[in-house]
Amino acid sequence: MSAEAPAAEATPRGRRTRSRIDLTTPGLLGLPVACLLVFFLCPIAIVGAYSVDALHGPSLFGEAHKLTLAGWHALFHDGVYLRLFWKSVKTSLIVSVIVVALAYPVAYYLALSGTKRKYVLLLVLIAPFLTSYLLRVLAWKVILGNRGVLNTFLFWTGVRSPDHPLSQLLYSRFAVILVLAYIWIPFVALPIFVSLDSLDRRLLEAAGDLGASRWQAFVRVTLPLSMPGVVAAFLFVFIPTVGEFVTPSLVGGTSGYLYGNQIADLFSTGYPDWQTGSVLALFLLGVVALLTIALTRFLRLGEAAAR
Amino acid sequence: MHEGDDVMERRLSRNDLLRLGAAAGAAGVLAGRTGFADAARAQLAKESGRLQVLDWAGYEVKPLWTQYLAKYPGQKPKFTFMTNEANALAKMSAGFKPDVVRPYVGYVQDFAQSGFVQPWTPSLIPNLKQLNPAMVKAGQYKGKQWGIPEDWGFDAILYRTDKVTPKARSWSLLFDDRYKGKIAWFDDLNQLVWAGYYLGFKKPYDQSDAELKRSQQLLKSKKKLVRMFWSSETDMQSAFASGDIWIAYAWPADWAAMRAKKLKVAYMYPKEGALSWIGMLMLGKGTSRSAHAHAFANAWSSRQAGSWLEDNYGYGHSNTHARPKSKDLLTALKLTDPHAVSEPRAHIDRHVPRRAVYARLWEEVKAS
Repeated sequence: MSAEAPAAEATPRGRRTRSRIDLTTPGLLGLPVACLLVFFLCPIAIVGAYSVDALHGPSLFGEAHKLTLAGWHALFHDGVYLRLFWKSVKTSLIVSVIVVALAYPVAYYLALSGTKRKYVLLLVLIAPFLTSYLLRVLAWKVILGNRGVLNTFLFWTGVRSPDHPLSQLLYSRFAVILVLAYIWIPFVALPIFVSLDSLDRRLLEAAGDLGASRWQAFVRVTLPLSMPGVVAAFLFVFIPTVGEFVTPSLVGGTSGYLYGNQIADLFSTGYPDWQTGSVLALFLLGVVALLTIALTRFLRLGEAAAR
Repeated sequence: MHEGDDVMERRLSRNDLLRLGAAAGAAGVLAGRTGFADAARAQLAKESGRLQVLDWAGYEVKPLWTQYLAKYPGQKPKFTFMTNEANALAKMSAGFKPDVVRPYVGYVQDFAQSGFVQPWTPSLIPNLKQLNPAMVKAGQYKGKQWGIPEDWGFDAILYRTDKVTPKARSWSLLFDDRYKGKIAWFDDLNQLVWAGYYLGFKKPYDQSDAELKRSQQLLKSKKKLVRMFWSSETDMQSAFASGDIWIAYAWPADWAAMRAKKLKVAYMYPKEGALSWIGMLMLGKGTSRSAHAHAFANAWSSRQAGSWLEDNYGYGHSNTHARPKSKDLLTALKLTDPHAVSEPRAHIDRHVPRRAVYARLWEEVKAS
């Protein structure tokens, strides 16, 4: 009996504790989960319905609608959109690699050089964000055009004559890569800076004590430990740029036309095709999600190996 | 009880309607046109609220409808902007009920069939008599005047005479290998139409599958020569002025704008025929401001509005008495020749029965 009494007493207390937990968790998670449902999962489901014509926009031009997988079939069999997607992936990969390679030394200097002005310099780095995105892109038209800043300089130095400007700078894939790299560098520097700034410096001292050169210490200690930041930075650039359409539409011309432009055009041109647009958008979402999962898994494996 | 009331109401309504019809008929016979004008005035007095106009940005400016404001002082129309015909139809499908909307001529049939518009009463638009008959005809569908033609222009080729020497007066200049990277096409499914004219098809607006395949193949194979597909006239003009492009699918206004920048340019009408587009004012179905809408269309159709449009926007106007101050524009729009805009010398845009197929094929050209 005496053994049962505490147990009987403990039960209501335990129940109270559990009910408190039960209320706290949904209370804390309820709003974000609801937001996720309403503003992310539901729209995706709607786009999914559009992609098979289960839902459709108003029959603006008297089109007939029926449930069909024709959009998905066209995506995988015609090859036109898949080739465009691959072009976008390549462009985005080039931009991401360039940007990470350029941002890493900057972040390294800011985090590890011991300068007292690192936060001031960081502010300078992100200063372009104080101006409009559109303005920053349009500024490149002034720089890269046939009569732009760059060509004018080349005329002035005599490298090129005004009749033969470097004319492939603007309205090209090169222009898209250049402008996207410029736009995303500050974004990329931040996560790398954070991962480097939180690095335990004693590990570098230990590496030095054990005979490692500065290069060896960087390759064997600093770089692996900053990889989460690098991967996060890579994803920061890759995910938005693979679906980017503003920059290509302003400076890309026909050769800089990307997958994101196609999606935007399918939804908004004179004769909208929401079904194909939805198929393309969902395919992009799926590939990006898979890539993110794969990279996150890679990171976890790396962290586990480091431990 | 209620059912009985309803039946009574219906009977009364029918009776009322018959009486009203008889009275109106008698009044019409007795009073003739004066009575009709009185009826119109009475209707006008009943119309309330501001005229709702669904139009393209830039057309909300007062000089284009000054006469309307002079007739109805203080009753400035309320403008809502459309970005293209699909956008306008989407707005109307969503419940927006404009009194006046302006699609382009190729969409008159689509709009007429949509159920969102109704035919005009031509007798209420006195200025209609001054409009180019070919354009007025283009606004008709099944014998009724669904569209009142106003702004118009050609789709043809603008090129730099100091840089480009065309081999022929043809659409082929838009894919001349010698000028790779210096050519701009318009981002529109109409590109398949000019390709159809170039390839000599009989009905470029209604090509067969095999013809469409050939048109698409032509565009795909020549796309590598093209620097940009323009959708904004400003972007194209800026690229042309800076020398990034030398040849462009363009409108007469672009030629006038480049001339104003002192560039050596020509506006070529291809031997296969230029295309021509016409803005059509259409009347919202069941509008409660019908008389105001007719007055608005009449104001837009006036010579004064036409000349202002030509002088300030570089577009043509269907009023045959309207003339721009610029001799360049007069030449580019061939305004002294009212037949220049229609067959066989130019092809007025028309209904594309298989627009979905055209649109898909054009998108594939861009993606290729």
